[in-house]
Amino acid sequence: MKRMKDILKVMRFDFLTAKPLALRVFIIVTVICFVLSLFFSPLISSYITFVALIFVIPLQSVADKSGFNKLYGILPVKRKNITRARFLYVFLAHFLSELLEGVLAVIAFNLKMYKILPNQDGEAVQLIKKSFEDTTLIYVMIIGVFAFFCLLFSYMEMLAQIFGRENEMKIILITLGVMTAIAILLSVLNSYDMLPPINVPKLPEDIGGRAIVAAVINIVMLGVCLLFGEITASRLAKREL
Amino acid sequence: MENILEISGLNKAYDGFALNDVSFSLPKGFIMGFVGENGSGKTTTIRSILNMAKIDSGKITVFGLDSVSDTIEIKERLGVVFDSLYLAEHLNVKQIEQQLKPFYKDWDSGEFFRRLKEFDLPDNKKVGDFSKGMKMKLMIAIALSHKAELIILDEPTSGLDPVARDELLDILTEYIENDNRGVLFSTHITADIERIADYVTILHNGKVWYTGTKDELTESYAVIKGAENDIPAELKSRLIGFHAYRNGFDALIKTDDLAGIPDTLEYEKASIDEILVYIAKEDKYEKNERHS
Repeated sequence: MKRMKDILKVMRFDFLTAKPLALRVFIIVTVICFVLSLFFSPLISSYITFVALIFVIPLQSVADKSGFNKLYGILPVKRKNITRARFLYVFLAHFLSELLEGVLAVIAFNLKMYKILPNQDGEAVQLIKKSFEDTTLIYVMIIGVFAFFCLLFSYMEMLAQIFGRENEMKIILITLGVMTAIAILLSVLNSYDMLPPINVPKLPEDIGGRAIVAAVINIVMLGVCLLFGEITASRLAKREL
Repeated sequence: MENILEISGLNKAYDGFALNDVSFSLPKGFIMGFVGENGSGKTTTIRSILNMAKIDSGKITVFGLDSVSDTIEIKERLGVVFDSLYLAEHLNVKQIEQQLKPFYKDWDSGEFFRRLKEFDLPDNKKVGDFSKGMKMKLMIAIALSHKAELIILDEPTSGLDPVARDELLDILTEYIENDNRGVLFSTHITADIERIADYVTILHNGKVWYTGTKDELTESYAVIKGAENDIPAELKSRLIGFHAYRNGFDALIKTDDLAGIPDTLEYEKASIDEILVYIAKEDKYEKNERHS
């Protein structure tokens, strides 16, 4: 209970640090995304995740510039909880933007504002109309963008905190190199039919089924963030401030 | 007298530097000046008190609580002023207050804004744009707003203009009027210590060179001058920071050792500044002796 309270305090602290730098831009871009998604494609709402990142990205540079290490040393909070809070904050920023995207997409789908656009028989409007028919694509985009960025940013946060900002890029490049090597190896093995066939499960058609898949992905991402947070916290706990 | 801070047998080693058996205590209701040249170990000691540095051995208690196992409770009751600001520079004081308030059970927003007013700190300006003096005052306002019983200041006056320094010292003097509080004030500006400290701890090369009352320190040492030939042989080994020049010598001496010195040698009470200088000279002298 005490741990959760401390984590919430630190998350609030992080949010208040980022808020003056991010809130105005976030509101403006979200409104623009919303208006565009209403008229042109619900898919546009999935860009909100990119915008929400401005609540996460400046935190480390502010912490470095403002000597937060000293602050972390004097606040009456366990150091591990400060680290855990950052990872939960990264998850929450992505989760809330995913939720917002979902709500905006549902509104856009229901209002179908493209109908008031001129020249309804024109090619452009027909294309727009098509994008309002494919709910699967928007569903996959929103969940996919959320999962990808949540994973990427929590991973980068872990690397940055453990190895230092200056080494972060080096480690990302090494990780990408390893991933590319694995992908090449798998495709070579596949071309020689050395891999067993993989059946990619199909997305459920009904809303209930999709909601369950979305919930599972969200829970997995929360688990990943908590795991990265725990690894980082135990590594940092051994270091001095 | 009950101690608000006690350090005993503190050891902490880094590459090329070590705190060696550091022990001192600060009784409630007093200000301790914590002095020493740059690199003497003041900041490491403070970081150890705050559990920011992991100590190798020894024990630190603050309010009678262990600095490692009870660090959270200690930090609830502790205010810290560093030589630089530790807050987000793009925020103003109102936003800072919003951030810090939830961390302290005893946070008093009214007290915070009263202090800001008293210290003439603007509430709509980014704290990063504050002058150094204003930043110091802000950190003190934060400490006072969560009713800190002990304030630790790490080189707060370095880089401050005389007016800002004077203001800061006045604030600390007013703070210590409550007998249940304490101040540990690290600095190498000894004039500040002379003005407000009751106790002094001198750290030299990671070791405690002196700890005790300020009055006792200044009464215990004198600066002695004269012709080198007039120094009795048995006295020379007891001189600290001996420095010979063309027309004579000067050195620091314990006042207890002054008995029986020839009239040709002059002496006067040493200031803390002079004591620090002679301690440093003693090092050089010893090094030179070793080399020659």
